[in-house]
Amino acid sequence: MTTEHRQLVAHLARRAGFGATPAELDRYSEMRYEDLVEDLLNPGEPNNIPDDLIYRRHVDLHALQNHNPAYWAYRMISSNCPLEEKIALFWHGVFATGENKLNNLGVLTNQVNMFRRHGLGRFDNLLVELSKDPAMIVWLDNHTNHKDSINENYGREILELFSMGVGNYTEDDIKECSRAFTGWSVKNGEYLAMMAQKDSIWPYGRVFWHHEYREHDHDNGQKSFLGESGPFNGQDVVEIICRQEATARFVSRHLYNFFVADEVPVPQWNETPPRDPDAIEQLAAAYFEHDHDIGSVLRVLFNSDFFKQARFHRVKSPTEIIIGTLRRTGEYQVPDGGNTGIYNVMEEGGYMGQKLLDPPSVEGWHTGEEWITSGSLVDRVNFAAQHIGDATNPGVQNMVSRVSGADAAGSDPEELVNSCLDVLGPMDVGSETRAMLNEVASAGMKNGGVTQELILDLFKMIVSSREYQLC
Amino acid sequence: MKYLKTIGFNSNQAIGRGFNYPYDTAFSADGRIFVLIRMGLAGSTGLRIQICTFDDDWLGEFKAGPDDGKGPFKVPVCMDFDADDNLHVTDESLNVVKVFDNQGNYVREWGGNGGGELAGPAGIAHGADGAVYVVEQYANRVHKMTSDGGSILSWGEEGSGDSQFNLPWGATTDANGNVYIADWRNDRIQKFDSDGGFIAAYGESGDGEGEFHRPSSVAVTRDGFVCVADWGNERVQVLDPDGKFHQMLRGEATLSKWAEEWLEVNKDEYDLRKQSDMLIEEFPDHLTSAYHRGSQSEPIFWGPVSVKLDSEDRLFVTEHSRHRIQVFEND
Repeated sequence: MTTEHRQLVAHLARRAGFGATPAELDRYSEMRYEDLVEDLLNPGEPNNIPDDLIYRRHVDLHALQNHNPAYWAYRMISSNCPLEEKIALFWHGVFATGENKLNNLGVLTNQVNMFRRHGLGRFDNLLVELSKDPAMIVWLDNHTNHKDSINENYGREILELFSMGVGNYTEDDIKECSRAFTGWSVKNGEYLAMMAQKDSIWPYGRVFWHHEYREHDHDNGQKSFLGESGPFNGQDVVEIICRQEATARFVSRHLYNFFVADEVPVPQWNETPPRDPDAIEQLAAAYFEHDHDIGSVLRVLFNSDFFKQARFHRVKSPTEIIIGTLRRTGEYQVPDGGNTGIYNVMEEGGYMGQKLLDPPSVEGWHTGEEWITSGSLVDRVNFAAQHIGDATNPGVQNMVSRVSGADAAGSDPEELVNSCLDVLGPMDVGSETRAMLNEVASAGMKNGGVTQELILDLFKMIVSSREYQLC
Repeated sequence: MKYLKTIGFNSNQAIGRGFNYPYDTAFSADGRIFVLIRMGLAGSTGLRIQICTFDDDWLGEFKAGPDDGKGPFKVPVCMDFDADDNLHVTDESLNVVKVFDNQGNYVREWGGNGGGELAGPAGIAHGADGAVYVVEQYANRVHKMTSDGGSILSWGEEGSGDSQFNLPWGATTDANGNVYIADWRNDRIQKFDSDGGFIAAYGESGDGEGEFHRPSSVAVTRDGFVCVADWGNERVQVLDPDGKFHQMLRGEATLSKWAEEWLEVNKDEYDLRKQSDMLIEEFPDHLTSAYHRGSQSEPIFWGPVSVKLDSEDRLFVTEHSRHRIQVFEND
């Protein structure tokens, strides 16, 4: 039988990463839960498929101007630091920045790298880095935010979507915030932004951008912002923002939505109370107690009862479905120039509603049940069944062997189903699903015993279930 | 070596003038430049070989298949002309060497999946005796063959000792018939005699002078200087005939004729470009790796994958991620 501890660490692995393979789960199950949390928060040096091998096999992933989700996918499926990838995915959804305007995917990949570096650190540092991030600067037009002619786009969104939420600041605060960020631009910004606007690759391909602070274009005047006054620059404004109660709650609600349980979409947060107000208060308190450190807030979150009780309370995002499935099947662990399947796999994420590095708007993706449409559900089920049902995949072969080798599975259809649910999760399924699985297992065993074909049929049924869509 | 000029510019089209991930060059007997266009994606319809001149005239292009009965390229890697002026092109995914005449007409091929003769052919170089040396990267060996694919001898195995390799890539021969191999994941160049006898190994892992990070290509001048595409360090190094560091090239591209022509009819971009400083000297702390410098500073190398010398000993450095060729000459 699956133990409660094994189920709990599997839950943590799904949320802090993309799920665990049976072998990983064996290792995790040997650890105390609290130690595993620490291990995930402090994994040491990242180890993933090396860039040189990726670049040699896929030359376009060197210039990073096409198929960048495939490059990210290589990291996500091979990383020994799953939380580092998960936190980058989290911030990519919050600070949604997209290819459709930038036409420079390389700078988006640099932004994701920034999320890896700062995503678990102080929120203040993250917001400063975000404000310097050239992809964000061009995405929200801050390179056209001048001392004598402010552009409020970034000043508005940093308050509305990135830190505090609607209703916690005034229009004047937006203007003053924007003044503080004048001069936060991009080297050669005028030329490179025109290349982006015209989708120009000439003469020598895309040039990656980097931040340039233009002192002469910065408004050094006095500003009044969120009740404080001074000759604020962008960094000062970020510090003021990060001291606000509203910021602590807003960040906490985002973390809750991504790591604990689905919330309503962000635009409704001003009107709809949190699903679990006590949890948000706990997280907000941790935010202040630990000097705005996101990793510390996550430590409180992962060790909380509300997290431990929230198993299968979230709908998996398309990326979670895809990466979780591929980590389990063991595919694409060695780049192969002649095999561009991983490109197609990440394109499928788009069909399911989440094309990485290309969010629908600055609001990012709406999550939870909004991931599920009649079309996307078919794509999700087909994807999982196709990959989990392919015995040539090394991870699938390993799972089949585990089920075949389970003592009780050879004689009892219910135990066979339990073994299959265990290697694919462990998962808990509803009575209706379980009855169907038992029926197939029973009929299959009568016809030919526990064959690979029967096990694969059960695998495909399980990953086609409602429960596999959740995490 | 000193910088001479830049050839080419970027194009994302499957036909016509302009490079998209150029990967290697070769020179026909009459001095025309053949440029291998990878296009990025395996099996792309734009995989082809373009022909141009040193004076920037674009002469045309050709593809493998469909008329040759053998089909198109999938992942072509390296090229070299033989003494009969036939162009040999390796394909690491199809495991073949395809041969074309100097007009781009298909002649023959050898290897192929299923036959098992070649395991990921990469670098290819012809010796003065007519033999061809093919780097089989997945077998970690060098195969000396006849020009139609007959096996003469081979050497190498996986490892980091003398005559051992770790995913080798480029190859060349010198005037004395010696063979040089870019031992990619061992971060060194190995030199052998024409029968595979080990002579020397140059370099070690690192980013200092005489150190390499994933060298992909090697060429030897008439007087024995060894030019190395230090691909992972985004630079080219020149070693003296004894293998000692001699010179570092970091790239200093200027506008090519094709680039100039394009900008002349896109004045809005050209005007802003003239106001910009494309050679970046200072970078944010997190963007200072060789890769990131190349990605942000347009004139310097980014993806210098191939080094080749023409009949006048001019050095052609092909950059796959800047879609151009920088040419250097002996000073």
